[in-house]
Amino acid sequence: MLLFRSEEHVDRWCKSWGLPRGAILTPQQTWELAHAWYSPDRRDPAWRRRTVEETESLLASLGLTGPFWDLR
Amino acid sequence: MAGTAEERDVKVRAEVYEVAMSSGTPPTIEEISQRLGFSRAEVLECLERLAAAKALVLQRDSREVLMANPFSAVPTPFAVYADERLYFGNCIWDGLGIAAMLNVDARIESSCGCCSESMRLRIIGQNLETVEGVVHFAIPAHRWWDDIVYN
Repeated sequence: MLLFRSEEHVDRWCKSWGLPRGAILTPQQTWELAHAWYSPDRRDPAWRRRTVEETESLLASLGLTGPFWDLR
Repeated sequence: MAGTAEERDVKVRAEVYEVAMSSGTPPTIEEISQRLGFSRAEVLECLERLAAAKALVLQRDSREVLMANPFSAVPTPFAVYADERLYFGNCIWDGLGIAAMLNVDARIESSCGCCSESMRLRIIGQNLETVEGVVHFAIPAHRWWDDIVYN
């Protein structure tokens, strides 16, 4: 996941690498995702990876739905 | 050998994160061995199980920790200055994730993936300061772990 100055720069990057455009998030959306994803303390013995269902629920809570965000 | 394999895995994972959070980079196998009193072989076994469970990512040949997400063991273009330390995220999501995990103010020094123009993000009071730019997720979510190093 890379930071770009604008969507135009994303398109240029995709073209130069021959890749299709993926999903575009604002920095604020990415911060909200990072905050939700990484807030649990991984030093806690009770920590475990989220299940697929839990991850889907987290993504959906941030409005990240649709084929790109599907996990299966 | 003290405890079950699962108990040792939990201790190693916690130690990896403890060191990454408090020093800026995940520990080496040797450091984990010394800190926990485990043999090198025991640490390696734990790391392999944790990697198989996708809790960590190991370097291909040395089997040292490469990623304890969001932390990178090697320098990346996602430098995070926080708590008077320098951390490296694995991607911009992880760079922001470091600020979230540490729960401190942070400055992320990165650059445009296309033109390399420098870009800076600031987290103050667990809020992102308004900033220009966009984040591109190139790989669909169901393929994130196909090649996590590339991703």
